[in-house]
Amino acid sequence: MAWQSNPESSGIRNISNPVELASASAVDMASRAEWSDEVLMLAIANQDQLAFAVLYDRYVDLVYSASYRVLSDAQLAEDSAQDVFVRLWTRPETFISERGRFVSWLMSVTRNRAVDELRARGRRRKREGGSLGEPDEAAEPLFQGEPEDPQLNAELHEEQAAVRRALRSIPHEQRVALELAYFNGLTQQEIAAHLHEPLGTVKTRIRLGMQKLRRTLQEEV
Amino acid sequence: MGASHITQEQADEYAIGSLDAPLERAIRLHIAECSSCREVVREAEALANMVGLAAPLRRAPARMKKQVYRNAGLTRPSPMRRMFTISRAAAGLAAVVVAIAAFTGMVSIKGQMDELKDDNADLQTQINDALSQRVELAAVTQQLEDTRQAAADLQEASKTDRELMLALLSPSSDILAVTAPGEATNSIGRLVWDEEQKRLWFMATQLQQRPGETYQLWAQSGGRYFSLGTFEPDESGFARYERVIPEGLAGYDTVVVTIERGAGSPVREGPTVFFVSSLNLGPN
Ligand SMILES: [Zn+2]
Repeated sequence: MAWQSNPESSGIRNISNPVELASASAVDMASRAEWSDEVLMLAIANQDQLAFAVLYDRYVDLVYSASYRVLSDAQLAEDSAQDVFVRLWTRPETFISERGRFVSWLMSVTRNRAVDELRARGRRRKREGGSLGEPDEAAEPLFQGEPEDPQLNAELHEEQAAVRRALRSIPHEQRVALELAYFNGLTQQEIAAHLHEPLGTVKTRIRLGMQKLRRTLQEEV
Repeated sequence: MGASHITQEQADEYAIGSLDAPLERAIRLHIAECSSCREVVREAEALANMVGLAAPLRRAPARMKKQVYRNAGLTRPSPMRRMFTISRAAAGLAAVVVAIAAFTGMVSIKGQMDELKDDNADLQTQINDALSQRVELAAVTQQLEDTRQAAADLQEASKTDRELMLALLSPSSDILAVTAPGEATNSIGRLVWDEEQKRLWFMATQLQQRPGETYQLWAQSGGRYFSLGTFEPDESGFARYERVIPEGLAGYDTVVVTIERGAGSPVREGPTVFFVSSLNLGPN
């Protein structure tokens, strides 16, 4: 048989002490262009359109480029990149700054959106009996040399250069395996079939490739 | 994977997007539950997303901006809105920060604030003002909540008082005197057993508080003892205990109170403090 205590009468709970925060000295409001990504996201969460404009300018080429790298089609890349920014404005709360850096989150959203589109297109093509098209090279030209606003994006460009260097330092077949997974949305089995290699080989390449990338980027920092 | 943790290799395979759907799902499910694996996977995801940075740079078409603004339901920003937007942003920012605080606690909020401070000191001031207002508001809300709770407690107490009163008056109630055979010789106690309300009350005076032990009420029926729960006296030594008569307990041959160790015992073990004497003081 169940036995129980008399419910305790609930007393008055303690009121927790108000949190004290150091108050900062008032200085001139700097322009949003100097705000970090994370602060801009907080402002966007409050529907600050200027913050959105700044973040858009900061990342539009990157988002578009990554989308294009996945989709190899200018129009699809444009649509996909648009969706990423619309979502950034309409659902900024899906970015939680505790989880990591904004740029990592942005890349993940961009990649997943584009890969979803790629798979949907693959299904459509299969249904319609078409074949995979060649990359659409009629798109906007690649940047030649340094893009605009070197001040604004200096940090980002430095980081991109570091990642490119790191990827170049990885053995070619490992790099290909990583890129087929990330940009082409292929699973290990699909990569193995695509390359006519055993699954175990592909697994090894991905494992070693990630290890090497991790080590190289850590050395850079 | 099962119950085991995620290896670095699995985290890497997951992060780069190379796992098939069932494995991917298994990892997602695991990291939803396991914070140490979540850390490992987050680090791997951050690394994998660096690959995205290496995409050959292309210039996005200029028309895209207009499209994005239209699809997002935005108007193009103009300098006229600037001041308005700034103060709203600060207040809203504080709200976001408070919302984050609810998840992460104030320690990490402090870190977050410190980071923000570097970004813009003036905005920081506004955030702090708005945040401390929010905190004050939260304190006032808590006070109101406490007052409401106290009122509810009071109302609850008067309701049980009324029920006890009814039980004392009810012809279907047994009102029984209890006898203290041992130490609590000066105690006066009563047991009220109300068949109609299906409730019982036990009250006694001059009980000692017993750290590490508890008073436990038992009904004996058909040669077995059934626990009716445990209770503690207040500082003045008065105890008042009530509960619903357990379903399936048709009646009682006798009722006793024992002292049991800890938070009570599943079987009657400890010394008896009270037993019901057969005298029925009820209105019958
Ligand atoms: Zn785990």
